[in-house]
Amino acid sequence: MSLINLNDIYKIYNVGGEEVRALDGVDITINSNEYLAIMGPSGSGKSTMMNMIGCLDTPSSGIYMFEGEEVHIMDDAQLASIRNRKIGFVFQTFNLLPKASALQNVEIPLVYANIKKEKRIKMASKALKDVGLEDRMYHKPNELSGGQRQRVAIARALVNQPSIILADEPTGNLDSKSGHEIMGIFDDLHSQGNTIILVTHEDVIAQHAKRTIRLFDGKITDDTKRK
Amino acid sequence: MFSLFFENFRISIGSVFANKTRSILTALGIVIGVLSVTLMGTLISGLDRSFENSMSWLGKDILHISRYEWFSDMEWWEVKNRPRLRSEYVEKIRQRSKYALAVSPVMQRGASLAYKDKETQTEIFGTNEDYMETISTNIEQGRFFTETEDISGSRVTIIGHGIKEAFFEGDNPIGQYIKIDNVKFKVIGVLEKQGKFLGFFSVDKQAVLPLGAFNRIFSKRGWMRLSVKVPEDKVSEGLDEISGIMRQLRRLKPSEKSDFSINQTKAFESQYNTLKFAIGGTGFFITLLSLIVGGIGIMNIMFVTVKERTKEIGVRKAIGATNGMILSQFLMEAVTICLVAGLVGLMIAYISSIFINKIFPSTLPIGLSIFSIVMSIFVGVVSGFIPAYKASKLDPIDSLRYE
Repeated sequence: MSLINLNDIYKIYNVGGEEVRALDGVDITINSNEYLAIMGPSGSGKSTMMNMIGCLDTPSSGIYMFEGEEVHIMDDAQLASIRNRKIGFVFQTFNLLPKASALQNVEIPLVYANIKKEKRIKMASKALKDVGLEDRMYHKPNELSGGQRQRVAIARALVNQPSIILADEPTGNLDSKSGHEIMGIFDDLHSQGNTIILVTHEDVIAQHAKRTIRLFDGKITDDTKRK
Repeated sequence: MFSLFFENFRISIGSVFANKTRSILTALGIVIGVLSVTLMGTLISGLDRSFENSMSWLGKDILHISRYEWFSDMEWWEVKNRPRLRSEYVEKIRQRSKYALAVSPVMQRGASLAYKDKETQTEIFGTNEDYMETISTNIEQGRFFTETEDISGSRVTIIGHGIKEAFFEGDNPIGQYIKIDNVKFKVIGVLEKQGKFLGFFSVDKQAVLPLGAFNRIFSKRGWMRLSVKVPEDKVSEGLDEISGIMRQLRRLKPSEKSDFSINQTKAFESQYNTLKFAIGGTGFFITLLSLIVGGIGIMNIMFVTVKERTKEIGVRKAIGATNGMILSQFLMEAVTICLVAGLVGLMIAYISSIFINKIFPSTLPIGLSIFSIVMSIFVGVVSGFIPAYKASKLDPIDSLRYE
C-alpha cells in the first residue's frame, strides 16, 4: 500500500507581484520501507517539497494523502498532530535544545504526544541506545561531538515510531567520517523496515538511497530506482 | 495535558534561572508592587490596632462635654468666648439625666512630679470618684479615692504605671509620698499599663488627684471637660438628653446656638478613616503603578525571549507542538517570572513585618498576601499573552530557517 501520495501538487508564492511556482504539478507515490533521495539545485523546489511531505506546509492546490489522511485540507493543529505521530525530522543543523540533556531532547516529541514521564524516559533511553548513545544520555548538546548531536537528533526523530524519517542534508554540517557513520545509521534503519526520505545535493549521499528523484524548476525531471 | 503542564513549568523555571540578571531586573516591578501592597496592609493593620486601643481609652460610650469641638475648624476666639464648664454641672446632670451612668469633671494641666531625687514632667488630672467609670483603664494596685476624700480635699493620688516604673522600680509605691509641683501627695493606687494614645503621648505617665485638692492647690482656672458615661446601646439618646440638659443649664433660647460641644470617639473615627483612606489610596496607587511598569517590563522581555528562541519554536512545532502548546509554554514562562517575583516580594514583606512589629505592633494580613500572589499571576497572564500569542502564530518553516 502506498504510504504517501502527492497528486498534482502546486505551491505558488507571490513575491513582489510576481508568481513563483515552487512546486509546479508534482505527482509522486512513496511506499512503505522505501529509501528515497530528493535531489536538485537550490531553487529547484527541493525544500518546498520536503516541507510539503513533512506536513509543515500545505499545497496551493492538489491532493496529498498520508496513510489515508487528507493532509491538504488540514488546519494547524491537525498538521502538528500528524507531524508528531508520523514524521521524524532530522535537520542539517541538528536543532537540539541547547539547555536540555540528550535524554530530555529525545523526550520532547513524547511530551507533545502526552505520554507519561516514566514511559517517556523508557522510550527515549531506548531510542538513544538504538543510535549508540546509551552512555551520553545526560550530556548537553555542547558536550557532544557533531556526529553525536546528529545521532541524538535521529533518536528524537525515531522515538515516536514515525511512519517516515525525513532528513534534510543530514550530513551537511559533519566531517566525512561522522557523515559516513550517520549514513550507516540510516542504512540500518532502512533495513529494519523504516521509510527514509533524504533531501540532499550530494551524489555520494544520494547513493545510499534506493530511489532518487530530481527536481528542477518545481517539476520532477527524473525518478530512478535501484536494487 | 498534565505532563505538558509540568514540562512547561520545568522549562519556565529553567529559562528564568538561565537568565538570572535579566529575570531579576524584569521582576523588580512586580516585587515592588507586591511589597508596597502588603506593607501598606501591614501598616493599616497596625494603625487599626493602635486606633482601637486608643479609642477604648476614650470610650465609645463616653460623651465628652467641652468648650471646643474635636477636629472642627472653629476659630480659637470663638472657643475662648464660650463660657467655661463648671463643676456644679456634675451634680445637676446626675439629677436630671436618666441615661448618665457616671459623670466626672476633668481638669488637666502640666505639672512636675518628683520622688526623692527623681523628677518628671507630665500631665495631671483633677477629677471626681466617677473617673474610673469613664476610662477603660483599671486599678492595678491599691484603690481609687472616695467621694469624701474628694470633698475634703485630701492630698492623695493615683499614678500611672509608667510613673510607678520610673519612680519606684520594684518597690511598693502605695503609702509613699510624691511631690506634685512641690506639694506632697500620698500614693493610694496605680493604674494598669495602657500604652500610647494614637502613638503620641503615654497615658501611663499621668497622675490623677481629687478635683477638690486640684482646685485648692492649682487654682480653678484652666480647661475643664465633663465626661459622661451612657449605656452603650443608648449613646444617641444620651447625647440628645445631655445636650438638652446643658442648654437648660446655660439658659439658651431655642433659637440660640449651643455654646458647648459634646464630643464622641466617632469624631476620631471619621478622622481616622480619612487618614486610612489616604494611606490606602496612596499605597494602592504605588502598587498599581509598579505593577503596570512591571507588566510592561515583562511583556518587553517576553518579546525578546520569543525573538531569541524563534528557532526553538520552529523545532518544537516541527516535532509536533501545536499553537496552543507553544502559547501555554510562553504564557507559563511569564507567569513563572511574576509568581517568583510575587513570592520574593511577599517574603521580603514578611521579614520586614517581623521587624516592623517590634517597633509598631502590626501583622501582615493573610488575605492580602494571597491577593498579592493572585495579582502577580494575573499580571503574568496579561503581560505574557501577546508575546506568547505571537510565538504560537509563528510559521514553522520560517522559524526553522531563522538564525
